[in-house]
Amino acid sequence: MIVGQQKKFDEIWEMVKGFRKVMVLGCNTCIAVCHAGGDKEADALASMLKIKAANEKVSMDVSHGAIQRQCENEFFTPVLEDLAKYDLVLSIACGVGVNFLSARIGKTPVYPGVNTQFFGGVPKPGFFEELCGGCGSCVLNLTGGICPIARCSKSLMNGPCGGTNKGKCEVSQDIDCAWFLIVERMKQLGTLEKLFEVQPPRDWSGSFHGGPRRVVVEHLRDIEEKQ
Amino acid sequence: MKAAEIQSTKGFTAESSELKESRPYPPCRAACPVHTDVQAYVADVAEGRYTDAFEVIRSVNPIASACSLICHHPCEQQCRRCGVDEPLGVRHLKRFALEQATDYRRSKRHAVAQTKGKSVAIIGSGPAGLTAANDLADLGYKVTIFEKNPTLGGMLSAAIPAYRLPRVTLQEDIDDVLSKGVEAKTNCEIGKDVTLAELSSKYNAVLIATGLSLSRSLNIPGVDSPGVLLALPFLSDAAYERKVDLGKKTLVIGGGNVAIDVARTAKRLGAENVEMVCLESEEEMPAWSWEVDEAVEEGIKIHYRWGPKAVKASNGKAEGLEVVKVTSVFDESGRFSPKFDQNETMLIEADTIIIAIGQMSDFSFLKDSAVKVDERGRLVWSQATQMSSAPGVFVSGEVVTGPGSAIAAASTGHRVATAIDLYLSGKNIEAALVSDRKDKINEMPKDIIQKLAVQPRGKVAHIEPDARCTSFIQFEAGYDEYTALREARRCRSCGAGAVVNQDKCVACLTCLRVCPYDAPIVTNKAEISPDRCQACGLCVPACPCQAITMVGYDVNAIRNSMPSIIGDKGAEPVIVAFMCSHYAAEKGASLSSNVRKVRVHCTSRVDVHDMLSAFEYGADGAFIVFCGSDDCRYREVYPRVKMRTELAKKMLGATGMDPDRLAYFRTGGEAGSDWVKAIEDMAAKLKEMGK
Ligand SMILES: Cc1cc2nc3c(=O)[nH]c(=O)nc-3n(C[C@H](O)[C@H](O)[C@H](O)COP(=O)(O)OP(=O)(O)OC[C@H]3O[C@@H](n4cnc5c(N)ncnc54)[C@H](O)[C@@H]3O)c2cc1C
Ligand code: SF4
Ligand code: SF4
Ligand code: SF4
Repeated sequence: MIVGQQKKFDEIWEMVKGFRKVMVLGCNTCIAVCHAGGDKEADALASMLKIKAANEKVSMDVSHGAIQRQCENEFFTPVLEDLAKYDLVLSIACGVGVNFLSARIGKTPVYPGVNTQFFGGVPKPGFFEELCGGCGSCVLNLTGGICPIARCSKSLMNGPCGGTNKGKCEVSQDIDCAWFLIVERMKQLGTLEKLFEVQPPRDWSGSFHGGPRRVVVEHLRDIEEKQ
Repeated sequence: MKAAEIQSTKGFTAESSELKESRPYPPCRAACPVHTDVQAYVADVAEGRYTDAFEVIRSVNPIASACSLICHHPCEQQCRRCGVDEPLGVRHLKRFALEQATDYRRSKRHAVAQTKGKSVAIIGSGPAGLTAANDLADLGYKVTIFEKNPTLGGMLSAAIPAYRLPRVTLQEDIDDVLSKGVEAKTNCEIGKDVTLAELSSKYNAVLIATGLSLSRSLNIPGVDSPGVLLALPFLSDAAYERKVDLGKKTLVIGGGNVAIDVARTAKRLGAENVEMVCLESEEEMPAWSWEVDEAVEEGIKIHYRWGPKAVKASNGKAEGLEVVKVTSVFDESGRFSPKFDQNETMLIEADTIIIAIGQMSDFSFLKDSAVKVDERGRLVWSQATQMSSAPGVFVSGEVVTGPGSAIAAASTGHRVATAIDLYLSGKNIEAALVSDRKDKINEMPKDIIQKLAVQPRGKVAHIEPDARCTSFIQFEAGYDEYTALREARRCRSCGAGAVVNQDKCVACLTCLRVCPYDAPIVTNKAEISPDRCQACGLCVPACPCQAITMVGYDVNAIRNSMPSIIGDKGAEPVIVAFMCSHYAAEKGASLSSNVRKVRVHCTSRVDVHDMLSAFEYGADGAFIVFCGSDDCRYREVYPRVKMRTELAKKMLGATGMDPDRLAYFRTGGEAGSDWVKAIEDMAAKLKEMGK
């Protein structure tokens, strides 16, 4: 799932302070699961804005709400008209939601309240860990199920680098060396020799470097559009 | 402490009661014949809302005060705490709540407009008749009760001894009903003073709720001797303070609750020596064990497993009872079928012998009426319509159900009132009068029992046997406030717990992770098992989608009522105190008036938003008071809510306010004074901060 974190409140305040009628809009999907932007967080952030506005003697009318997913048209249908009545929508969805809403709301600005960070998993309660780089050309079959793009600090395809140290990455002692993990895991699977196979050069065009990506599932398209 | 000083955070709405009704009942509520919402009023008591508790009780029970003293409390027998230690003291808590709410209760009495333009005559003023009168008056009917006794209340007034049920207490129930505009004609016996036919012609409907007003006698030699009495006339003489001469030694025949009442009454009327004789063994005896214990304490001797054979009398006076040994009371299939050993007999001497072996109906008033009695002497009626064989003549209570409890009789009063209303509205009774059977939640799971602390049940004091037997003084004391509040917190709030709104849940697993009782199960969406949930409320603020609500309280109530909680601000800094009800109850009184007390069943429900909302509406400071580690009725609340409070402090800090404006305390057992001081310190600090 997509993991993000709420922006520092000061930064949010700087964005918001000039507006009179503000809607804090949460998204009850991934960003709710990481407790950064669901219904509850929208509620709490609205409360903070009200406290701040009162203390700063700024007249501001703050509302809050959330929809199921800020990345699909249908979920906006019942609320879009209402949202357009605000001076600002502070979206605490991931960046996708902010883009998505911004393109549809008309003249009202949509600002982000969250820094969208990565695709991650939840190894234990309260921990969110980046596990996939979204590179568009998956190699996990070759690397023991450990993503070198996301989990190696340098996204090396032929690691480890010289900075590996007792299983840790030179970037930080808190980071496991992905290539150390890959080797250990492949030993365990008995497939270590696969690492010695020479791989063809990677096609990075499906990644960030080939421009914005798009997936089209032909059989799901609108009939009229297709014709 | 006045309950009004404390903000109610229950916030119960129509939707919440709908939700509650749609859920399985806790066993206490299911067991109560009128389905009193025990959990709800106990929670009200725990949080100091005594008048709310009264409303919950009275809404279904018009003989609430009587029940608070004499109910056999099937709720307690079924209580889920039984698995942990002892059942909750439900009846004692009911008494406490009603006593606390007496002034309020009296102030609420008022006549109900008789909007229906139709009238109902009720024969008999026992629990069944009174309850029906209550409901029919509420519905707008003109109700008249006819009672042959000089007082209202049926057996509660004419038989149950005053040492268990003082008549001033019963009067509170009666006054409630009469205040609605119900008319009562006492000393008026139907069949003698007025006929049933007259009632039928004058009223739109008639209710027969005449109970069992005759005592059964025995068919043994000598039973007509002077000195042989029957239970009900004897109890009634005692109740109306008519003189009874018992002599020195009284023997009571019977092993039920009525027999016990008779024996204990005889003791109080001056019989030096009171004995009982019954067919059953100690274990088989139908009387409640606690009543037997109390009788034995009073020096009443019980002869078990003897059957009455003949009354011995000479010179026109009873001298004793010849009894024969019982070999068995029940046959193989459990039916009552006593067998005797005629070779083993004895004589129990007595000046007075009182027969207390059961009650039956007196149907003499039905003679020549359209109401049929079958060949076995039973009134012919339909359970589906509550009607007798005569159209418009209804029946309820023990006259048709046979002997039971006061509250069971009252429940039939509710049912018959609905039936009469349907009838008088021209509707089909049978189709609309539904059975009230409800699903109930299961016993407490074993693994949860192990997680629950043992807390002994709060006891009530009894006057010492020697002292109590000299008069009809009420022998049982009620709970004091301290004991009541502690006892109320023993309730596990069964069935009042968390419910997930499936439309909002994103299956994030948070509830499953925070729940100390493994109540949530998350497959596609979260679902919370009512059998396991302890209604602690910990999961509610943890859910990122606000998908969890509670059956027992409105989860938004604190936030929604924050403006009124804060109210007018004076010169002193306003501090909002979120207090675990335990401490609020015991120590809250000594806090100064600038502290706004928000009493919660447990701090577990206090959300980050609740804390922030205090500041949103202008509080200068806020704090959370946790109960001591040994007192918490739930698990893991302190570490979780502490983390939550730390987060709220950070958020407060981020807005530019001093995070120290929000604080928390955990107090030990009786350390009330500590936190009074802590609050004073906080107030001083806030002043320093410029309020
Ligand atoms: C000694 C004793 C102790 C008890 N203790 C308990 C206890 O501790 N807990 C408990 O739950 N229950 C107890 N009960 C049972 C309880 O009292 C009954 O369940 C309850 O009173 C039945 O209610 P009812 O309305 O059906 O009839 P009743 O209470 O019997 O009321 C019927 C009324 O109708 C009146 N009546 C009858 N015929 C006529 C007529 N022709 N005209 C006018 N009026 C008439 C009678 O005088 C009576 O007042 C006890 C009963 C007795 C006798
Ligand atoms: S613990 Fe409370 S709610 Fe549960 S059965 Fe007992 S009285 Fe009822
Ligand atoms: S915490 Fe809320 S959203 Fe998450 S699984 Fe439980 S009910 Fe669903
Ligand atoms: S956390 Fe508490 S309220 Fe929530 S499901 Fe568990 S026991 Fe019930």
